Amino acid sequence: MPHRFPGTRAPLVALRYVVVSLAAGVLLFPLLYALYASFELPKDYGKLVGLGALTAWNYGQVVTLVPLLRWYLNTIVVTAIIMAGNFLVNTPAGFALARLNFKGKRAVFVLVLSIMMVPLQAYLIPLYLFVAQLGWLNTYASLTVPFIVYCFFIFLMRQYFSTIPREYDDAAEVDGIGKIGTFLKIGLPLSGPALVTQMVLGFTLTWNSFLIPVTMTTDKSMFVLTVGLNTLKSQYYDFPTVTMAGVILLSVPVIAVFVLFQRSIVPSLASSGVKG
Amino acid sequence: MPADTSSPPGVSTLSRRPRRPRARRRDTTSAYVLLAPALALLAVWFLYPIVSSFLLSVQAVNVFYYSQRTWVGLANFQRLLSDPVFRSTIRITLTFVLIVVPAQTVLALLAAVLVQGLRRLRTFYRTALFVPYVTSTVAVTAVFMDLFTVHSALPVFFSRLGLADVSWFADVHLALPFLAMIYVWMNLGLYMVIFLSGLQTVPAELYEAARVDGAGAVHELLFITVPSLRPFVLFVVISGMIGAFQIFDQAYVVSGGTILGGPAGATSTIVIFIFAQAFRYNKLGSASAAAVLFLVVVSLATLVMRRIFREETRAA
Repeated sequence: MPHRFPGTRAPLVALRYVVVSLAAGVLLFPLLYALYASFELPKDYGKLVGLGALTAWNYGQVVTLVPLLRWYLNTIVVTAIIMAGNFLVNTPAGFALARLNFKGKRAVFVLVLSIMMVPLQAYLIPLYLFVAQLGWLNTYASLTVPFIVYCFFIFLMRQYFSTIPREYDDAAEVDGIGKIGTFLKIGLPLSGPALVTQMVLGFTLTWNSFLIPVTMTTDKSMFVLTVGLNTLKSQYYDFPTVTMAGVILLSVPVIAVFVLFQRSIVPSLASSGVKG
Repeated sequence: MPADTSSPPGVSTLSRRPRRPRARRRDTTSAYVLLAPALALLAVWFLYPIVSSFLLSVQAVNVFYYSQRTWVGLANFQRLLSDPVFRSTIRITLTFVLIVVPAQTVLALLAAVLVQGLRRLRTFYRTALFVPYVTSTVAVTAVFMDLFTVHSALPVFFSRLGLADVSWFADVHLALPFLAMIYVWMNLGLYMVIFLSGLQTVPAELYEAARVDGAGAVHELLFITVPSLRPFVLFVVISGMIGAFQIFDQAYVVSGGTILGGPAGATSTIVIFIFAQAFRYNKLGSASAAAVLFLVVVSLATLVMRRIFREETRAA
């Protein structure tokens, strides 16, 4: 509890701040270190230099040594397709499970819950073989199409739609817009917060995903940033400052989105413990 | 909370509405229109591969002659279970889980209690502690590998404490603890947030009563906070085990993707094993059998977790 006995334990309160700041320092240190090193010249690497000696040299190098801009583009395209697909597919499914009365509802819901507990790694091999048979390896399709439906998001949307008061349905019935009309005209406009959660989580999971792109792509021009960074790190092992520039370019968008939207994603992350 | 996912709260209210046969029929059609894209995609991209996964585990397959598959029964499983590499994979994965889960549970609980006690800047600290969780595992692993390269400041510092001054990720004894360290560093924030939501449920009177009785901070933590958070601790421990069991990214990056599981197999976790067997050594049989075992373990653990959690919330 925040302040049970105000004033009585001032030194203890100060100590708390010291300890929490230390913890935050330890947790943020690697990222701050990467940021700092990414602006150092390779000859200064591992040393502390003044602000005057810092330069954007590594960033210039990283975009010329490897096709980093292409990887950025790939990551953005893949993330955008998945986010749009997530929205179009999982949202109506969640609405149906929350608001409509239909045959087989329980079965569909149990199916969604069961699929939620199956990790992707368990069927990665047949997924790969199937994608290969379709001739989709090294395409955007292999990185997006299989991941548009996502049961956790169906569940997330369903939980949210369940909280909308039932009076809205009656109003819709009076207007005679049907159930699909109710979804489009009433459900969707009211689902803003849950949609933001779905979008931001979809962004974070896709942007950071590694297992799928490293399985589906071998062609350098089809890499996403995570896979590209992994090869960059091995290939330019002797230039850690360049790698750190790659680390920063990969991490900044997702950290920025998280900081901006944390209120909408932290609670649902806390309730699920999912990580792609 | 992950709580009770198996008894949908909406269902009972729905069935209590007066029944109108026509409206009911219309709902079914509309419902399946809304569900159709999701169900179609699940059939193609989930049900088909998962069934194939079971089939592959009882077949002999060569990726270059994929159409010529033959039924071999449980031979893949027999071969797998007698494979010393797979056995060491299981040992390594369990060791990893046993290092990571207690560490992250205790640290996350302490972090949550500390952050909860702050009057100001609580959101700031919560964000700071959570940032590692949303950062790419590849990026984080690259930074840690850099920090723990031989002769860098940190290995030199730890060499004063008796460890060797080596690149941690390249050392047979340190590679797995190195992965565990990265993993805990990344996941601490997630579990802290779960504990923070748990702390909102602890009645303040409990602490006041304890203060009157003259209890110290440690007493409060052990005899009030931890028992009150029992369901949350259970959730963090079990879901933490399930998560740690699936570690892949960090182990892959540490080996640079070339000799997976290196150095000398020290980081060959179960998912790395599946991946390497399938995509490096063309042993789809072993890989599929391992994937099926992996699936069974993770699903059972998740079912157990859901059951326990349902009972815990009912009791509370």
